[in-house]
Amino acid sequence: MGGTEVRVRLWLAVPALAVVTIFFVIPYLNLALISFYEPSHRAAYIREFTLANYRGTVLDRFTWQVVWHTVWIGAVTTAVTLVLGYPLSYKLSRASSRMKGLLMMLVISPLLVGVLIRTYGWMIILADTGLVNQLVQALHGPELPLMYNDLGVLIGLVHVYVPFMVLSLAGSLQAVDPDLERASRSLGAGAWRTFWRVTWPLSLPGVVSGVVLVFVLAESSYVIPSLLGGFTVLTVPILVIRTITELFNWPAGSAFALLFFAIILGLVWAFLEVMRRPLQRLQ
Amino acid sequence: MKLRIAVTLIYAFLLAPIVIVVLAAFNGGSYLTFPPQGLSLRWFDSFFHSRPFTRSFLFSVELATVATVLATLIGSGAALYVARSRSRLLNLVQVLMIAPLPVPGILTGIALLLFFYATGFATKGWPPMIIGHALICLPYVFLVVSAVLVGLDPSLEEAARNLGAGPFTAFRRVTLPIVKGGIISGAIFAFITSFDEFNISLLLSGVGTVPLPIQLFDFLRFSFDPTAAVVGTISIAMALVVVLATERLVGLESLYWGAR
Amino acid sequence: MSAITLTSLTKRFGEVLAVEDLDLRIAEGELVALLGPSGCGKTTTLRMIAGFETPTEGSIRIAEREVAHLPPERRNCGMVFQNYALFPHLTVQENVAFGLEMRGLKRSEIRERTARILDKVGLKGLQDRRPRQLSGGQQQRTALARALVISPAVLLLDEPLANLDAKLREEMRFYIRELQREFHITTVYVTHDQAEAMVLADQIAVMMEGRLRQLGAAVDLYRRPASAEVADFVGVTNLLPGTVRDRNGSRLRLETAVGLLSAEGGERLRPGDAAWLSIRPEDLELGQADGGNQIRGTVRARAFLGNLADYRVELAGGQLVRVQTAPGARQREGDEVVLGFKPEAGWVVPR
Repeated sequence: MGGTEVRVRLWLAVPALAVVTIFFVIPYLNLALISFYEPSHRAAYIREFTLANYRGTVLDRFTWQVVWHTVWIGAVTTAVTLVLGYPLSYKLSRASSRMKGLLMMLVISPLLVGVLIRTYGWMIILADTGLVNQLVQALHGPELPLMYNDLGVLIGLVHVYVPFMVLSLAGSLQAVDPDLERASRSLGAGAWRTFWRVTWPLSLPGVVSGVVLVFVLAESSYVIPSLLGGFTVLTVPILVIRTITELFNWPAGSAFALLFFAIILGLVWAFLEVMRRPLQRLQ
Repeated sequence: MKLRIAVTLIYAFLLAPIVIVVLAAFNGGSYLTFPPQGLSLRWFDSFFHSRPFTRSFLFSVELATVATVLATLIGSGAALYVARSRSRLLNLVQVLMIAPLPVPGILTGIALLLFFYATGFATKGWPPMIIGHALICLPYVFLVVSAVLVGLDPSLEEAARNLGAGPFTAFRRVTLPIVKGGIISGAIFAFITSFDEFNISLLLSGVGTVPLPIQLFDFLRFSFDPTAAVVGTISIAMALVVVLATERLVGLESLYWGAR
Repeated sequence: MSAITLTSLTKRFGEVLAVEDLDLRIAEGELVALLGPSGCGKTTTLRMIAGFETPTEGSIRIAEREVAHLPPERRNCGMVFQNYALFPHLTVQENVAFGLEMRGLKRSEIRERTARILDKVGLKGLQDRRPRQLSGGQQQRTALARALVISPAVLLLDEPLANLDAKLREEMRFYIRELQREFHITTVYVTHDQAEAMVLADQIAVMMEGRLRQLGAAVDLYRRPASAEVADFVGVTNLLPGTVRDRNGSRLRLETAVGLLSAEGGERLRPGDAAWLSIRPEDLELGQADGGNQIRGTVRARAFLGNLADYRVELAGGQLVRVQTAPGARQREGDEVVLGFKPEAGWVVPR
């Protein structure tokens, strides 16, 4: 249809594009810029170019400890989410269409409740005087430290990100024709062998996207390590927020944040490289 | 069989904290015990009498409403453009529209804070909060409305044009009625996204403009009071409404108006 | 009712040339079929007439009025889409009334005309149903009614029968033809099914790869195709490669791998030119030597089809030809046979 119509249509998108460009793209560019500015005690920063922020971050052993710790937490979270999410996704993909809707709803509804509320629920369950410990003590067991430590944080993170893993896997698993598994069984392979040789390789694309998604999300989590970790678990997001809102050192905070996420992206890229050949074999 | 047990356990794991929170809200004692100490509404009473909580609750509702209206209007427009356009820029537009989603929320919050400061714009209060929330709601509206539009047969609009309807009339009489449910669905998702949003609010909220999640967070850092559970219960009830409403709207959609 | 004239119509999508330099004139009240394989440009042409695509070059005139710059709603064409495009949120009645509403007619008149057309297409009593509650055939007729009730200048049909089962399709072919004749409306009918085109159309425009290859009545396309592609697309044929030896009046003689053969056609061909001899399976006779052409071959396959026997015969040089004869034919696999055909039955096209 005519040229004027195409032009009118474009105006439909302009407001959205403007908002994203002005309030998303440019702020990020600005963030990168500020990471090169001098920190100051009197203002947010001094507009003088310096590499000191990056240098300071890179040379600080403490920083690297926190980075390593955060990466470790993210990796464990991702692994556990995969183990828990896979069976769920599998069941979902093989369920009747009626059940599928219900099961999907059950997976998605926690997402709608919000991280904070779910974390609070875990606090009630995991605290030293919480439900689990009450049960254990009633059975004359020892007091289990389930909160204000890495374990509590991991439980919280896994809980929040399982739905994301399930959603990522569901697409791939859905595409695996059940007849393939039946063919494998008819050829003599047991359930486990069928899984490893047929189902798992074919679901790999979903696994890869789920792993990447959950890892990146887990690395950027702030609420869960704060609440379930108390003041003892330190992750990069917590450190960054502290640097910005408590120490008011915006340049250093920006530099650290960007550096960290560059590392995360690097890890993701490395992972995708490793996965490239196995994925290609599916083409 | 083993699979079914495993799956049930994992589902229980997913839903446990949510159930616990609701139980805690109605619990008589000041912390949840086994067995529960009887039913009571005292924590609801405590919540409704707490000015910080009720004020932040109202603020969250107002903020979410404004952000939703904005995000729905401009997000639906963008989705319409993408669905009907053949431009080579299409990929870029789509990437831009969903970009705020995968990027870490705290980073976006920080970026916005620094940006507003650098441009002399307010860094705390209503304006930055509206912008920040609308920004993160946008991808959700865009994705949901796009999905509905993809299922919409383009020849329906063409048929309307062929029969004499101009572009706006065709949109109004044919596309909109069919897509309406999807847009409302997207709006509902946007509302709840804004209502639950923490990271952006953490950096941009100021005195008098504290949304509920921030209020709750401050509260939980130092206290264990089940008043927080009341907030949780309200959130859970809202989530249920969202799920049911979407089920009805989008469920009804695909059932009756064949947008497939 | 008006004539349609397409002049030098061209449509380019980026690098792809979908329609190239199309010249076509459709007379008032005529039904012209745009026939061709998928991707040949027939649907693009139809959409250009309707106004859903803007031509890259060329002009479209309806009733001598240039319309290429007009938006779809101002062209007064009635279109029936392949998937019917019935508005799912409106009833049958509301669907059919839509075009009349757009034209601002009075409510009473809309009701009257809608009722009349629904009665005409046999949908009386179904006006309050929604499209999803109708059968395929009923949906089809609703789409037709919706397009016809507005009394358009031109009727455009985009493979309207593609989604119906075979039997219904055959019935609907005749039905559409009758309806079109009764309304005497200029019609463009897009299809890839040549049997459909041959039943329905006054003239068939065969399109391939964006160009018009041949325009003519069914019998002309079948008996006197302009090229090997047309011969192969319209019906089934055997194509024997050869070189023109000489011409004598309307008769042409061709050197082929199986001998010197006599046929007609190949108007612009001269001695020495490469050519194809097109001979239809039903024109090849088994075992006759009737003063016409003769070819030797071996039967490779035989199938009994009830009213016909279908043979595959291998000729000297390896080419396999298809022969259709009366069901009582005796030849079996492995038999050496002689195939004969009259020179008038063979048609030569350039290679």
